[in-house]
Amino acid sequence: MYAQAFFVAVFGLAAIGFGVVVFRTSSMVRSALALLFSQTAVGCMFLAMQTEFLGVLQIMMMATEMSIMAIFMVMFMMDPGGLGGMDMSHQKRFSIGAGVSAAAVAIAVALLSDWGPVAEQVADAEAQTRALGMELLGRSMMIFETAGITILTAMIAATAVAIPVQNLASKDDKEASE
Amino acid sequence: MTPDPTLTITGARQKRPSLLQKLVSRALARNLSCLVVPGPEVALAHGLDVTAAGMRITATPRDAGVLLIVGELSEKMSDAVAVLYAQMPRPRAILMLGGQTPSSLPDADICAGLSQAELIDAADRLKHALAEGAFTDSTEDFDASVLHTRIEYVCPMHPEVVEDEPGSCPKCGMDLVAHEAGDSASEHEHEHEHEHDHEHHHDHESESESESESESESEPEAHHYGHEHHEHEHGHDHEHHSHHDHQQDHEQEHDHEHHQDDGHDQDHGDEQQQGHAHEKAGTEYTCPMHPEIIQHEPGSCPKCGMDLVARDDGEDEDTGEGASGHGHDHEHHHDHEHQHDESDDHSEHEQSGHDHGGHDHSGHDHGEHDHGGSGFMSMIEVTKDLPRSADGLQMDWLEVPFGPVFSGLPGGLKLTLTLDGDGVTEGQATSLVGMTTEGKEDEAMDADTFIEHLSTAMPLAPVSYRLLACRAIEQAAGLEDDPEISRAREVALERERIGSHLGWLAQLGRQLGFAWLAQRASTLQLEIRDANRDRIAALEPAFRTLGTRLERTPLLKSRLKGIGVLPSESSDLRGPVARAVKEGGDAWARLWQRLTEISASLDLIKSGGEPELPVLRDIGDVSGTGEATVDTPRGEARLSLKLERGKVKSYQLDTACRHHIDLVAKLAEGQELGDALLAVGSLDLSPWEVIS
Amino acid sequence: MTVAIVLLALLGGAWLLAVIEGWVTTGRLRPGAPMLSGLAYLGRESIVPRSPDRVFFEAAPVLLLVVAVLGAAVLPLAPDLIIADLGTGALFVNAALAYVLVALIMAGWGPDGAYAMIGGWRFLGQLIAYSMLIVMPITAVAMRAESLVNTAIVGSQTSLWNIVYQPLGFVLFIIAAMALAFRSPFDLPTAEGELAGGVDAEYTGVRLAVLRLARLMLVVTLASAATVFYLGGWHGPLLPPWAWSLIKTLAVAVLMLLAGRYLPRIREADLMRWCWTLGIPLALLNIIIVGVLILVVP
Repeated sequence: MYAQAFFVAVFGLAAIGFGVVVFRTSSMVRSALALLFSQTAVGCMFLAMQTEFLGVLQIMMMATEMSIMAIFMVMFMMDPGGLGGMDMSHQKRFSIGAGVSAAAVAIAVALLSDWGPVAEQVADAEAQTRALGMELLGRSMMIFETAGITILTAMIAATAVAIPVQNLASKDDKEASE
Repeated sequence: MTPDPTLTITGARQKRPSLLQKLVSRALARNLSCLVVPGPEVALAHGLDVTAAGMRITATPRDAGVLLIVGELSEKMSDAVAVLYAQMPRPRAILMLGGQTPSSLPDADICAGLSQAELIDAADRLKHALAEGAFTDSTEDFDASVLHTRIEYVCPMHPEVVEDEPGSCPKCGMDLVAHEAGDSASEHEHEHEHEHDHEHHHDHESESESESESESESEPEAHHYGHEHHEHEHGHDHEHHSHHDHQQDHEQEHDHEHHQDDGHDQDHGDEQQQGHAHEKAGTEYTCPMHPEIIQHEPGSCPKCGMDLVARDDGEDEDTGEGASGHGHDHEHHHDHEHQHDESDDHSEHEQSGHDHGGHDHSGHDHGEHDHGGSGFMSMIEVTKDLPRSADGLQMDWLEVPFGPVFSGLPGGLKLTLTLDGDGVTEGQATSLVGMTTEGKEDEAMDADTFIEHLSTAMPLAPVSYRLLACRAIEQAAGLEDDPEISRAREVALERERIGSHLGWLAQLGRQLGFAWLAQRASTLQLEIRDANRDRIAALEPAFRTLGTRLERTPLLKSRLKGIGVLPSESSDLRGPVARAVKEGGDAWARLWQRLTEISASLDLIKSGGEPELPVLRDIGDVSGTGEATVDTPRGEARLSLKLERGKVKSYQLDTACRHHIDLVAKLAEGQELGDALLAVGSLDLSPWEVIS
Repeated sequence: MTVAIVLLALLGGAWLLAVIEGWVTTGRLRPGAPMLSGLAYLGRESIVPRSPDRVFFEAAPVLLLVVAVLGAAVLPLAPDLIIADLGTGALFVNAALAYVLVALIMAGWGPDGAYAMIGGWRFLGQLIAYSMLIVMPITAVAMRAESLVNTAIVGSQTSLWNIVYQPLGFVLFIIAAMALAFRSPFDLPTAEGELAGGVDAEYTGVRLAVLRLARLMLVVTLASAATVFYLGGWHGPLLPPWAWSLIKTLAVAVLMLLAGRYLPRIREADLMRWCWTLGIPLALLNIIIVGVLILVVP
């Protein structure tokens, strides 16, 4: 029990620490990977809290997602290596305000809500996974399927929107040259 | 206990020799990894089997413990090799085969001649030296003039700011960033820093004029808006597609309500500044990041604390020609962002460009609000001024040297590719080992010396050039063709053709990571190098299996098909490259052309006689002019020379590679990196045969 | 104890692979060569290139090593010879291996060299091609076992190995595993003839030794995963369970190692196209076939 609390705290602090690094560095790649490790630490928190599937999933998904973010940063940002000592933070006043208030709300919710009795026994990982699968493909199937299809549609639509831009441009070229 | 000084290698590592060190030394000696200079294909052409001598060939100097130099190096090459040597981790040794150690390097630890027996012996001696003297108390630092590079400091935002010392930019107060100055001849494959931004600024600043010209033909939207925005006011029609393009971009990026404007929103930063300039003459101080901050006195920006920059009127570098690089455009992106980020600070906006700059311009305003809506730095904004490559993505460009010692390319060839991501936007090939003279006028050369000179200058095809020289001299001397001799010579030439094509196959194998091919072709090349007629005939089945194996290899066809296509009308093509044009003119066709030529040469050898190296017949003290042509493995080579009393007075040489090297730029452009290298490799360039 | 055994098995596997690799390239069987070359690497200078991203440069080889070990930690050698028999073992293998990408990006970005950087980002492009081909075959395997627990997956193959039950999945998984281990012909990030070693290019001395070891161990881990998922894990007659696991793992590893010798490096664009237009439909087909089999065959 105490060990568990200890690990949750350690990973939580690690998550916060990496989160701070995201804004304290001037290199885009470092920033992206710091965000990745912050998310990984959150995944480890899940693991420490005995929600194995969610933890592993979080750890797995973030690796690819943040890496892809990193390459976009490198491709499109000027000075991705942070050689010019760019400051990553913007809108300081607003973001400090937002951060503090969000933290206050989160702490308030944590302290004020009624979490019910402490569970003595947690189902083991296999049972949890099974329960999660039953949930995903049972009661909540429509929600998840709809969400999945929507995301897929959005991705295809985004690609479709992106392609004609080039085609139009080249068509214009042709017209101009004729 | 200092080790015997004779048994300390020049590149020893500084560490007190101890028991552990001794053990490690033994391990080092048993594990020789060498970087072959100019390249493994030259070693093979000399009949050297480095692997059989117990050494591993590495692709990078970082992984090598031995610098194996095969033959004399040209001056340019020596400089490049000095850089390579400096990059090798200590303990490192130099093994010099055939020739003098270049002056740019420390003296070779072991010198030997150009033969396999001597190589094996040298490798053994080197192992001994390494085992004994890999570690020593005192080492000498390796230092060469080519290693010294001048470091200059540039501002990431203002490429025109170049200082000799670190500090901050006088314009924007940013810290200057160290940057290697200039391109020295020593530039080596690993010598680069990817300071994307600066390189980019540098490149395009100096070339912005020509760049935009060349791009305007293919990609109108790739213009540098920073320079172009004047045109927006006058020539809407000219810029039609770019507006269109950007409008689309903006629609995608931000869901903004103001897109009825015709795309001008990108430029309002400039316009603001102009607007100001026209209204308020005299010296003004403005923030480089926040152009809306305008004060009449020097000071710091109330928003970001940067020092304000003085300007006389609106005609500062923003509106000037050329001088305004992309840095300024980036500033404007910043300014969009900052304006909106701190939009609660309206007091400052009162007297600033926000109002009149933003809203009063007829027809094309609102830009700021669009960006304000997102609150982020738009990637399209940031990249709109970068040049676009073939795939339409805008990225920083990187100029990367490949070679002159690069595992995928013939040694001595330096390929400079401008990369954006994994794509090549521009390629340029130069030879660091090519013959530099077209025949010196003043000093006449003995005919035999000339033949030696020519054949050693072309290590990848010595027999062909020996034959060429012999023929030209004999013709100049007026000697009749002796059918017996010329047939023996012809056979030797065909044997070299087979060897050369096998060398190319091995090179292809190395480039493609096709280890089996590299190994098989090298073995065959070594076997055929000095083989007699019977031996060559005995090897025929091996060649046939090689052909069928290549035909059956999965992925090979899809890898080579359509790579490096040369149009059939291209002139200046010679040899296998020209003959392959009919079959499609791509790398796959060239591979099969060479395999066909191997079997054709085999047939010729079988019907011919014993191969015999061309030796000059006695010519006496004759004078005259002669011209000869030989179909070398890489294509036709022509030599015309003037003989004066048995000495070669002057000569002129024309080779296939000299023409083929000009194809590189076209073949590399717009290709993916791997494809570009493959296309260049498929030409089978011999940098030695490139005459400058 | 289990930890030590698994680590030893990993190291031993890496050693054996190195010996075989040396045998194939030089034609000489030298069992001591890997140790010697490791020692030689220790003796070399370990150079830090100019202006590196030091954190990435140092962390990358270690991260790669850790990833390989973590992946191996959830794969059983024998019914009770497993470091952690996680409830989500099959997924965890995936999660650990996803960090190969992170390690390579770090190794590519860290040394401040163009070859390394291109190599690192190339691996990201490669991942987009093959990652689905890792996940989807594992899905079909988990469907048959009705569990993500790796020991249960082996247990489900008692009567019939998955290589027979779903051969399509096996082929796809091996191809994707080779791409993930960036072995030839998928060695785009290291590509000797194109990038002079790519992500490896700037590493020397001890760091290079760690990197090389990590790469070999990654191959062993992936081969072990293929064994657990498709080759019936420890099942086999006569020999003790752990021996079967080792034999099968090494056989797969050698297959992965040697296949590349006889193939030219694949084009990135081709890899992407084939994986998406051919690989993913086949993987879906595999899932459907397995689903039908599970429902129809009792």
